[in-house]
Amino acid sequence: MSARTFPLLVCVLAVAAVGARAQPAAVTEADEAALRRLIPQADTFELVETDSRHFRAYARPQPESEPTLVGLAFFTTDITPRVYAYKGRITMLVALDLAGTVTGVRVVHHYEPFGYFSIDMPKFPKQFKGKHVLDPLEVGQDIDGVSRASITVEAATRAIRQGARRLTREFLAEQAADR
Amino acid sequence: MTQTPSRIVLACCAMLFVGLAGGAAVLGAGAAQPDTPSPLSLDDLAALDALIEEDEVTDDSLVEFDAGALVDVTLLAAVLGFALYSFKRRSESLKLVSWLLSIGYLGFYKASLVSVVDIFGALRGSLPAFQDGQAYYLLIAFTLASTVLWGRLYCGRICAFGALTQLMDRIIPSRFRIDPPAWLDKRLVYLKYVVLGTAVLYFLASGDTLVYRYIEPFWMFTRNGNALMWTLLAVLLLATVFVRNLYCRYLCSVGAGLGLLSNLTVFKIKRWGECSTCKLCEKTCEWGAINGPKILVSECVRCDDCERLYADEDQCPHWLIQKHVARHTPRVV
Repeated sequence: MSARTFPLLVCVLAVAAVGARAQPAAVTEADEAALRRLIPQADTFELVETDSRHFRAYARPQPESEPTLVGLAFFTTDITPRVYAYKGRITMLVALDLAGTVTGVRVVHHYEPFGYFSIDMPKFPKQFKGKHVLDPLEVGQDIDGVSRASITVEAATRAIRQGARRLTREFLAEQAADR
Repeated sequence: MTQTPSRIVLACCAMLFVGLAGGAAVLGAGAAQPDTPSPLSLDDLAALDALIEEDEVTDDSLVEFDAGALVDVTLLAAVLGFALYSFKRRSESLKLVSWLLSIGYLGFYKASLVSVVDIFGALRGSLPAFQDGQAYYLLIAFTLASTVLWGRLYCGRICAFGALTQLMDRIIPSRFRIDPPAWLDKRLVYLKYVVLGTAVLYFLASGDTLVYRYIEPFWMFTRNGNALMWTLLAVLLLATVFVRNLYCRYLCSVGAGLGLLSNLTVFKIKRWGECSTCKLCEKTCEWGAINGPKILVSECVRCDDCERLYADEDQCPHWLIQKHVARHTPRVV
């Protein structure tokens, strides 16, 4: 076995192992468009229907190379469906890298009438970028609150924090099991 | 494919280097490495477990006040407390101050009013988490408790939109006013129950909460609506110029819900024996809540207009008759 084919084989096996466990499902066009905006360096996305339903983003450094996992993403409503804001759930798409850093947040849908003053402003999702799952991620500590919409901002922050931590934990445990 | 010893040594060196680099990366996980994400270790797994557990514990505990929540709850309690004080004092001028507080604080500052969405939320168990909304729960609790104790006090004093339209009524000259005839008014008051029932059925069938935008105007305090919402609001406010408290009396689904609850009212408005023949209060009531000797609790918002009249010894027949009798009865010593 040549030194060149060995890492390739490892990659193929790793992808196969992930694929075997993950039962990949179809990623809808709308979801893919949203994912592409959030993780622009990724080429393909895969939907993983585990306890924490999420997406895995793969990139090919070269056109002929095997895709490698570059990030994870999830809808807050999938992982923390019981986090309610003032007028129901807030659907956000959150992207993480493999080291547990939030790489982006997109507010997809919500019913909050106070949205304009809080989570709809670009500065709300923006402040999560670069924060780590082990950071406090709490309103009043490292996340700014807006007095007018405390319920909305608190609930949105909690959904991101708990979802990101749960997904990272699941991913880490899976990696540890593989080792 | 033959492997020379030197290649094996080279491979070992390479593996050692990779291993060291990996170890260094794990050690440096906390250090600033913005470009290359360092892999998380098993230690981080334990830390994550602890954080997740802590978060879930906080979820369950009810008494988790932060500074912001404390300010919110205190200010709201002050506004509610003042409203109760103005109610207990039966003072017209204090009621005016209470309205202004509601419009300013609960309206334009907090944009936090009881909404039909809260009824939806209660129906499907999707109310906000307690630790996110202590002030919200204080408002809901006050509203329910005060309605059971006194009736639709919330509608008359706390609701910022109700306060706004009542204030409008004080400012707009009365010559614009059109009072719907009694036969029509008697039927129109049931419209709000139809609105509430339809909204609840629609919600149960579709799960859509957004219908609140078109059946209640409370979003106006957020100054954030679409063209149709602003148009409907303009029509409603224009109509309110002519028919006072139009929304509260005929259309409000929250008022309908509280109206149903107010049938339990503990402390009802007293009536004198003379009330069965006197029409003074019935004519004064802005809410059409008095029908002959009876007060319709579900329409009454405890505005105190009639109660002030009862106490007025120069206007209320109860006192006038007593005085008259006292004047014309020879004193027996």
